[in-house]
Amino acid sequence: MHEMSVALEICRMAEERIGPEALPQLVEVGVEIGSDSGLEPESLRFCLEALLSAPPFANARPMLDLRAGDVLRLTYLELDDGNPDD
Amino acid sequence: MAIRTIEVREPVMARNNEIAATVRTRLRDAAVPAFNLVSSPGSGKTLLLERTLAELGKDLQLAVVTGDVQTQNDAERLAQHTNRLVQAVVTNGACHLDARQVETALAAIDLGETDLLFIENVGNLVCPASWDLGEEAKVVLFSVTEGEDKPLKYPKIFREARIAVLTKMDLLPYVPFEVEKAIGFARQINPGLQFFRTSALTGVGMHEWYTFLRRSARKAVAV
Repeated sequence: MHEMSVALEICRMAEERIGPEALPQLVEVGVEIGSDSGLEPESLRFCLEALLSAPPFANARPMLDLRAGDVLRLTYLELDDGNPDD
Repeated sequence: MAIRTIEVREPVMARNNEIAATVRTRLRDAAVPAFNLVSSPGSGKTLLLERTLAELGKDLQLAVVTGDVQTQNDAERLAQHTNRLVQAVVTNGACHLDARQVETALAAIDLGETDLLFIENVGNLVCPASWDLGEEAKVVLFSVTEGEDKPLKYPKIFREARIAVLTKMDLLPYVPFEVEKAIGFARQINPGLQFFRTSALTGVGMHEWYTFLRRSARKAVAV
C-alpha cells in the first residue's frame, strides 16, 4: 500500500474526529503500524510529517508505534488548545 | 498550555470498508454489477471504456465513475460515447479512489436505470489494490508495452483482481513481449484470473470482452 494514501486517510480521520477548526491545535498523532501491514514505517512517517506540518494543520508530529502483525490504526490525537493549565 | 489526548484506536481502513459494504449492498439490491478498472497510467483504461461504451451502449444502460488526480479529461472523453451521466471524481492528489467518493458519485446515478457500472480508477497499480470500493470485481489492465513481469512486480492488485485485460495487442509485433509468459506470471499470483487479450484501437479481442460484460449485465443480453 502506498504510504501517502494511508497518511491522507489518517489526516481525514483526524479531521473527522476533532473537526476542521481544531486541526491547527493538533500536536501529536499516534499510529500503530504492524510489521506485516505492507507499509514502510519511515515512508509513512515522512508522509505524515509533510502533511501534518502544512495547513490546515499547524505543526503536529506523528508518533509511530511499531508492532508485530498487520495492525494499522490511528490510536490517539493529542491537542493543545492554547489555554493555560488549570 | 493545556494538552488533551483523544483516544481513537480505529483501524485506518475501517471507515472505507464500512462505506464499501454499503455501496456493495446498494449495487446488489439494484442488481447492478460494478467493475473497478485499475492499471498503471497509460495502459489504456479510457480507450477500452470509450470503445466499450460505444458498443454496449447500443443495448445497455451504462454508467461510469471516473477518477483522476487532476482534470476531467477522461470524463469528457467518455461522455462523448454515452448519453448517461459520467461522474468525474478529481482526487486532488490522492492516488486512488475511495469508497466515500464512489458513494457520493452514486448519488447522482439512477441505479434503477443502470445495467452496468464502470469505475475507472486513478492510474496506479499500488494504492487502488488496497481500497475496496464496493465493486463486484476489480479488473486489472496491463499493456504489452509494460513487460511480462508486471504481475510479479505488483502482486497485490493481481491477487485482488478477478479479471485481467491485456491491452494494446496491436503493438505485439513491435515490442519484445511474450503473452503466455505474462499470463503465466499473473496466474502464479492468482490462478483463477480470467484473461482478455484486447486492442481497443483495432478491435482485436474486444468481442470476447463485450460478450463477458453483456453476460454480466443486470439485464443479461443474449449473445
